[in-house]
Amino acid sequence: MPQRTVTVASKVGLHARPAAVFVKKAGEQPVPVTLAKDGGKPVNAKSMLAVMSLDVRGGERVTLAAADGEGAAAAVDELADLLETDLDG
Amino acid sequence: MDIYISSPLTGTAIGLAEVPDPVFAGSMVGPGAAVDPERAPQVAVAPIAGRLIKLKPHAFVVQSEDGRGVLVHLGIDTVNLEGRGFELIAAEGDVLRAGQPIVTWNPAEVEAGGLSPVCPVIALDAESAAIDAIVNGAVTAGDELFHWR
Repeated sequence: MPQRTVTVASKVGLHARPAAVFVKKAGEQPVPVTLAKDGGKPVNAKSMLAVMSLDVRGGERVTLAAADGEGAAAAVDELADLLETDLDG
Repeated sequence: MDIYISSPLTGTAIGLAEVPDPVFAGSMVGPGAAVDPERAPQVAVAPIAGRLIKLKPHAFVVQSEDGRGVLVHLGIDTVNLEGRGFELIAAEGDVLRAGQPIVTWNPAEVEAGGLSPVCPVIALDAESAAIDAIVNGAVTAGDELFHWR
């Protein structure tokens, strides 16, 4: 199960606008993907409700994980790279 | 099961496409509507009955018993105000009835600060086809705003 832990670059974290960009990209991935805060329970990265409830702040470390399957590693990389970009920039 | 989403504010209901932010206007956050609020101190109220699963000064999410979440975002880019001008009435985790007060704020003040006070009201994770009966025009807080099948 591929996974990566990254630091969220968006200064104000995954508030509405960056969360929407992230969830849209997650939705395009061919496998299920989860997002978790450090030590926290993973949530469905394709759900706006789940991602917004997680309330990820800027500078927080989060872990992206994808279910095994074709395209899983690429899915994790694409989403991790996205989070490491300032989505508000 | 259908639910009716009430307007959290008094003002003018407008289409989401008219919100001055491309991510909301493009329904990227989800489908729904928006309210251009009356420029006077206002209390934002719960759009549906449910649990207040997320409460920030400028935005909140209420989740219905059947798991659906409605986001109310008070103004655009108001996360940058870091809570200034917003007074919390309810607390995260509270179970609310539709129409119950959550936050007091002043759209006129937000506007004077250079931000848009327009408030998107979003049915999170909903299919656009599941949203209809979207109201346009004058609304009072608590009036029906749209319908989520």
